[in-house]
Amino acid sequence: MMIKKLIEKIEGEAELDFTLQKGIVEDVRIRFGFYRGIEEILVGKAPRDALVITPRVCGICNHAHLLAAVSALENGYENAGIAVALSSKARYIREFTLACELIQNHMKWFYMTILPQLERLTQSENGENHALKASYLSGVITKALAIFAGQWPHSSYAVPGGVTCDPTYIDVMQAATLVDESIRFFEQVVIGMALEEYMQIDAVGNLHEVKGDLGNVLYLLGTHGIAEYGKSHDRFIAFAEGLGMQSGKSIATTVSKIDVRYVQEWVQEKSMAKAVSYKDRMYETGPLARAMVNKIPIIKSLHKRYKDAVLTRVFARVHEGVMLLSYAKEVLQKLDLSEPSCTLESRLLADTFEGTGVVEAARGSLIHKIKVEDKKISHYDIIVPTQWNLSAGTDQEKGVAIKAMIGAKSMEEASFLFRTFDVCSVCTTQ
Amino acid sequence: MKNKQHSKPRLLWLQSISCNGNAHSFLNHPDLFSILSHFELVYHPILETKHTLQDILKCETECDILIIEGSLKEKGLMKAGVEVSSVIKHYASIATHIISAGTCATFGGMFKQYDPEHITGFCFDGEVQTTRYEQYAQKLISLPGCPIHPKWLGFVLMMIVQNRPIAKDSLHRPLELYAPTVHTGCARNEYFEWKVDTEGFGLKEGCLFYELGCQGPYTHGSCNKILWNDISSKTIAGTPCFGCTEPDFPKTTLFETETRMGIPATMPLGIPRRAYLTVTGVVKSFRIKRFEERLISYDD
Repeated sequence: MMIKKLIEKIEGEAELDFTLQKGIVEDVRIRFGFYRGIEEILVGKAPRDALVITPRVCGICNHAHLLAAVSALENGYENAGIAVALSSKARYIREFTLACELIQNHMKWFYMTILPQLERLTQSENGENHALKASYLSGVITKALAIFAGQWPHSSYAVPGGVTCDPTYIDVMQAATLVDESIRFFEQVVIGMALEEYMQIDAVGNLHEVKGDLGNVLYLLGTHGIAEYGKSHDRFIAFAEGLGMQSGKSIATTVSKIDVRYVQEWVQEKSMAKAVSYKDRMYETGPLARAMVNKIPIIKSLHKRYKDAVLTRVFARVHEGVMLLSYAKEVLQKLDLSEPSCTLESRLLADTFEGTGVVEAARGSLIHKIKVEDKKISHYDIIVPTQWNLSAGTDQEKGVAIKAMIGAKSMEEASFLFRTFDVCSVCTTQ
Repeated sequence: MKNKQHSKPRLLWLQSISCNGNAHSFLNHPDLFSILSHFELVYHPILETKHTLQDILKCETECDILIIEGSLKEKGLMKAGVEVSSVIKHYASIATHIISAGTCATFGGMFKQYDPEHITGFCFDGEVQTTRYEQYAQKLISLPGCPIHPKWLGFVLMMIVQNRPIAKDSLHRPLELYAPTVHTGCARNEYFEWKVDTEGFGLKEGCLFYELGCQGPYTHGSCNKILWNDISSKTIAGTPCFGCTEPDFPKTTLFETETRMGIPATMPLGIPRRAYLTVTGVVKSFRIKRFEERLISYDD
């Protein structure tokens, strides 16, 4: 039996065509509706226009698109023989603002997608306004971002050679205060314990110490038998270094190096989203992948017990939010304002070049490839994280999210598993 | 504004061709939920609502205020098998107020560029009125900006609740928000007055209008009066204004100023070229030492 279901409020919408056998999910086809043509819009434009146009791919991860675009331009400059040599100040400021966007994203997903859906699935709704918490935290942390980037969403403050802002120590201090406020929010509302104590937790056995809304989610997942659902290929990939993390791929207990050149992209039937693979195999990308590649102790411990099931995936995303808050604080302390913000002059410096930029966005690795001929963009390619997680798969294997949904006992359960991947429809149909 | 059965106006937020940026921008409003408490939220693309999108697509729900996000395409954008433009037109016809939220819904914006002939704003195609204009203009409020400024939307919603008249320009933009230019209140005003160019990106000194493409002096909007994220703006952060509230957004070569005989090709709003040249000639004949130095030096 085949049933179509519209999944909404996931940064746009997706349609899932379920094949059910006696109520159990046997197969799923994921469809995204409308292609907006950003890659085509970019052709013929001035190269740096990509810094304004590509953030408009996505309202929630626009900043990652900006940083991928500027990295692609800088890589192109380097390939054309122009040394970019970012100051560490510019590098840290970019890291800080990217971290802020990820924290914003993870908390919106947690409070506006996971908590309400999980409460519905387990019939434990209590009428609490979770969105209020998401909105508060998002407001605080994007304000810290905007101190450097001017605004969020849709900043274009990163330019080849650095950043456009020229912060003062008062700016830095304000940003630090806003990070502290976010940490206070996490301690009092999300994890219900002191950050220092939380960071000591490195094994499943101590997870019961986590209180707050995260504690509640762990409890609901555990007591309703959902925790071990949603297992997929158990293969992970993260392409960009940064935010205190390394790149690589993780299969079983082995982490190894990767190269962007082995990424393949192809058009899928009946979907406006392109699929992507690494050496013909499906990989999961995102916070769980980053944690596996970087061997984060608590995630490794969870993985040992639950593999790449729902509990591990959900916990990894929230945990990354906590780690990024600590990281954001460290980065601010390292800022030396006597360094230049931008080390290249403002004129366009190369007429013809090709470059690739990779950034770890909230949902995983984001790749931008630019080709410039005679001062105009001749080709632009964007590979977004959701393409990794939500592709239909190859002849040999199912896509990551599809495999996770197969075997679910109802469409509602499968839809919840689908949402644990933090789906972004708008990015996928750029 | 009152309705017979409903004490609170019913607010419906619909998306067409969009990036979700306006929804996320508004989500950052510090008073979001106190503003929303004045409404019955019928549907929203992210917030929990009474109705699902499937319900809304049936066109059976009541609505008083319609917020449109995203550019319009008459045919070809389907959600669950339903043409989105027809759903938007249905609710636009029963609503008492229509807010086009962001530049896409207002003028066509970014996504218009993919298919300029078929993709437009709801009532405007660039600055030209669409065929829908006649029918809906009377209740239309345009709030362009890419994305929409959360505070601007908050103000307009509260003005509607309080039944206040909203004075608008010919493109239906509220004058209280769009009569000033983005240049108004810019932290770099002094450098503009004395025609002092910035020496490059990453400096708090100097004006971005002469070389780096800033469109602030001829872009309608109060970004430097009502700050972004309550703290900053593009020009404060050293980024040029890209004119994102205007019907022709986005233009190209956004980080460079087009010049004519060494003078910006586009003049500040309403300023005759001759007047601009005269003033420039006068102020440029003076050398002001203070503007040649950095405001703060952290070198030692």
